[in-house]
Amino acid sequence: MRLVRRLALIAGIGLTVFSLASEPALAQRRGGTLVQITQPEPPSLGSYISTANPVGQVASKIYDGLLEYDFDLKPIPSLAESWTVSDDGKTVTFRLRSGVKFHDGQPMTSADVQFTFMEVLKKVHPRGINTFAEVTAIDTPDAQTVVFRLNRPAPYMMAALSGYESPILPKHVFSQGDIRTHQNANRPIGTGPFKFVEWRRGEFVRLDRNADYWKPGLPYLDRIVVRFIGDTGTRAAALERGEAHIAGFGAVPYNDVKKLEALPNIQIVTRGYEMLSPVVELMFNTRRAPFDNVKVRQAISYAIDRKFVIDNIWFGFGKPTNGPISSNFAPTGLYSADVTNYNVPDGIERANRLLDEAGFPRRADGFRFEITHDITPYGEEWRRFGEYTQQALARIGIKANLRYEDVATWLKRIYTDYDYEVSSNHLFNLADPVLGVHRAFHSRFIRPGTVFVNGVRWSDPRADELMDRATIETDPKKRAELYAEVQRIVVAAAPLAWTHEISFATVLDRRFRDVIVSPLGLFSSFDRAWRE
Amino acid sequence: MRGMRLVRFILTRLLQAIPVVLGVVVLNFLLLQLAPGDAATVLAGEAGGAPPEYVEQLRARFGLDKPVLVQLGLYLKNIVLLDLGFSFRNNAPVLELILGRLWPTLLLMGATLVISVGGGVILGVVAALGVRTWRDHLISIAAVIAYATPLFWIGLMLILVFSIRLNWFPTSGMEDVVAFHEGWARVVDIAHHLVLPTITLSLFYLALYTRLMRATVLEQRGAEYATTARAKGLTERAITLRHVLRNALLPVVTMAGVQVGALLGGSVVVETVFAWPGLGQLAYQSLFARDFNLLLGIFFLSACLVVIVNIIVDVIYVLLDPRIRVGGQS
Repeated sequence: MRLVRRLALIAGIGLTVFSLASEPALAQRRGGTLVQITQPEPPSLGSYISTANPVGQVASKIYDGLLEYDFDLKPIPSLAESWTVSDDGKTVTFRLRSGVKFHDGQPMTSADVQFTFMEVLKKVHPRGINTFAEVTAIDTPDAQTVVFRLNRPAPYMMAALSGYESPILPKHVFSQGDIRTHQNANRPIGTGPFKFVEWRRGEFVRLDRNADYWKPGLPYLDRIVVRFIGDTGTRAAALERGEAHIAGFGAVPYNDVKKLEALPNIQIVTRGYEMLSPVVELMFNTRRAPFDNVKVRQAISYAIDRKFVIDNIWFGFGKPTNGPISSNFAPTGLYSADVTNYNVPDGIERANRLLDEAGFPRRADGFRFEITHDITPYGEEWRRFGEYTQQALARIGIKANLRYEDVATWLKRIYTDYDYEVSSNHLFNLADPVLGVHRAFHSRFIRPGTVFVNGVRWSDPRADELMDRATIETDPKKRAELYAEVQRIVVAAAPLAWTHEISFATVLDRRFRDVIVSPLGLFSSFDRAWRE
Repeated sequence: MRGMRLVRFILTRLLQAIPVVLGVVVLNFLLLQLAPGDAATVLAGEAGGAPPEYVEQLRARFGLDKPVLVQLGLYLKNIVLLDLGFSFRNNAPVLELILGRLWPTLLLMGATLVISVGGGVILGVVAALGVRTWRDHLISIAAVIAYATPLFWIGLMLILVFSIRLNWFPTSGMEDVVAFHEGWARVVDIAHHLVLPTITLSLFYLALYTRLMRATVLEQRGAEYATTARAKGLTERAITLRHVLRNALLPVVTMAGVQVGALLGGSVVVETVFAWPGLGQLAYQSLFARDFNLLLGIFFLSACLVVIVNIIVDVIYVLLDPRIRVGGQS
């Protein structure tokens, strides 16, 4: 019988967090204001209803989750101090920490957890609707115990319980009125290390230290102020001058990152994105000729010089790849390098050969056919990536015309109208392939009008079946085997050409320490961050 | 008698403005329908993808599933009741969002108007009085340069020189978010933050007014009334200040009226560069997010403001030049 029982006790892992509290130097760590730049300004602070990146960057300081994660993506206790998963994987029991209070002074109990998952995340959270689809009920035998009842096993669920992904809300506040337009979306009340004080639109969000935080002695900082600066040049200037102290997720473009790195007061951190793992991909409209031909898609994948792209467009902040699953999943065994390798020195020759075989000979003007390439409307490097793609395609005899539209128009074109030939994008792997990878090519995710899903409209029964099995497989080894085969199939068929994993660069003022201490980076609570 | 007529004039103009503003609202509404994609798509896009159930939920909530004419009807009904609606994206009432941005906008606008009109008038007169001297040349050349330089570039250069190199002013924002000053210290702090954006935003119009003022002063000084005054034995100084200036101000007032309208929307660049929390940025963001309720609210407010400024300009005309009568035939 397989052992799927997992038990983590506070005595073991919790110690790593609290051992700091006994150090004598502690008193000196208290105090200071961290100014974080978040770009763009979040539309709201309701991280239970919006997974937009800026929302998470702010709300993760205010809300805790049941769990936190270490850099190996393993869960560690947070509001839940221990947990067990039943042998059949269909019952998950969490023991909640006692004495935890919300910012309004009310105690956090199992009723709040039950409300959060059943009434909020399962119903209105953009990803929660999927992640917790198997959860049929949550029992609360007592105030400190919650029991998740699942229809089928959902191993990925355990990776989605951070304060960023699944914030625990106070039932007594959010059960009043309509959760979708709740007034406390923008006046959040959580259990986290920082309390919401004020949001001046267009300017800043101010968060002050929660003196009653359940981790003794934490947080160290007095305050976090999140500022919104629309101009990239000004953002870099504010960091250079020490007016602001941290900015990540491309808030500072890579060329400025390189410039700031040279300054004595600034360091560049690339850790802290391991639970997001964006992978850049070229998308092919696989139901439109000539991209219904696998050889054409493979040819284009061969034509992209990954190293050149990373070095020249992403300023070295990236890693070449061939497949959809990020190498950040290597510690969990889900990443496989055993796939078709498109990143070869003779890529151009192979590509030309494939296109000849596919029946697209070069015409008199040297081109085989002409297409339109839709550039990803997310800023400078994407524009340059589009221009590079144009040149790479010209090398194999495909004439590409570039089209650049604003985000809303582009989203509609790619994911609603499917009126495109080739485009590019980067999908986050998130905490588990079920959450971040399936959506790109599982046929269940061919859904007109839904963005960041299977916009290439590729479908393969074998791949679908493997993914469905991996979804409910609780044995890590078997799960890894299933994903290895998925990766082999999908990379060979190339409905998308995965080119590289992006490393975001966080610009950080050297005076601040222990800021990026989790794979969620800027999406974590900063409870241990301190200022020299 | 004149006071009565002025009041009647203002009331008539306000009444006439109502259909204009409503027309603007309808036009804006219909124009925005032409933009591809809707708020639900953008929200889902920002969320990094969402299930279709969620997107449909959003559409129904935003009322985007209703026919366009029904949406327009509802919107007009609400506007008449002065209800600007709810910004689902920002999870807040539109009016609250706009009012929050109004005072920084007015502050920046006011400071800019004072600097550009005041400075422009003074520089223009100085240049005209010393026509074809070094003063005139210096001012005219500076004006041409300021007139021709792009705003964002000026802004970034000012930051580079005065914030980073000289460390005199903060790079951006409206106040110090580490200190959070209170009372007078806060006023000083805000004024400190206001300097660079105001200079950046003022320069273009300052140059414009300088050139305008110089040209009109020169023209007016050749007018018959100036010759008469000269014949009366008044000094050049007295002629300029008493008689010429008053007449030369009229075109500047007209331009200032236009500028107010432009400032409301045209300060997007400066607001972005200096992270100033004004209406321009809000409008810009809401356009890209297809947050039409908010955008329409801002348009509505701008339309009202432009109408009001136009009336004020007309009144100033009357005060400056008694020959201009209000209320048509007399």
